[in-house]
Amino acid sequence: MLSPITFLTENMGVAVMKNNLKVFRAQHDLTQEQLAEKIGVSRQTVNAIESNKYLPTLGLAFKISHLFNVSVEDIFIYGGEKE
Amino acid sequence: MNKKRYRQLRLFTAFFVGLIVSVAMTQDSYLLAVAGVITGMVFIRLVRSKAKPRTDERELVIQEKAARMTYAIFAPTIGIAAFLMMMPTFGSFSVLRNGEWLFIESLGMVFAYLTLFVMVLYAISYHFFNRKYGGGGDEE
Repeated sequence: MLSPITFLTENMGVAVMKNNLKVFRAQHDLTQEQLAEKIGVSRQTVNAIESNKYLPTLGLAFKISHLFNVSVEDIFIYGGEKE
Repeated sequence: MNKKRYRQLRLFTAFFVGLIVSVAMTQDSYLLAVAGVITGMVFIRLVRSKAKPRTDERELVIQEKAARMTYAIFAPTIGIAAFLMMMPTFGSFSVLRNGEWLFIESLGMVFAYLTLFVMVLYAISYHFFNRKYGGGGDEE
């Protein structure tokens, strides 16, 4: 199980993000390289997103969701804030 | 041309340019050194336009973080070094007696100006990017 990525929010709390990119990629039978080619990033970036080491920009998140024909929230899950 | 090939070519070119510059230095031929560097730059530029290496947002974030960390380390380091070098107590150190410490003080002065330059450059670029990304205006 991958640990969710965290980031500092406006009031310096820590927000938690998870994603289902790997699941959607597997459903569409795409390799990381193929997905990277389609969304115009490097394979390392796809890998970093999947392993919750990097949060994509809003633009890239929308690009991914458009590619899989789902909403952004289906792929990227906001886990709320923690202290 | 893929990214790996482009990296190999870039490494080879850097090595070749380094070789030319070192040979030029031993021959005291500055013109050759400059010509070598310019040729290398032009070659890399041409190869790059062929290779079109993909620079994505993650790489940009990494570059930003690396630049920020470089500034955070570099500015205080040379600032503190400048302060220490310009301290008059340096004159009492045995190794720095007989006036040699004056050179250290001059170096400290250079470091101090360098620190100021880095800080001013940071302030200017911060101001520029702040304006570019919508900051600075109070209008509603």
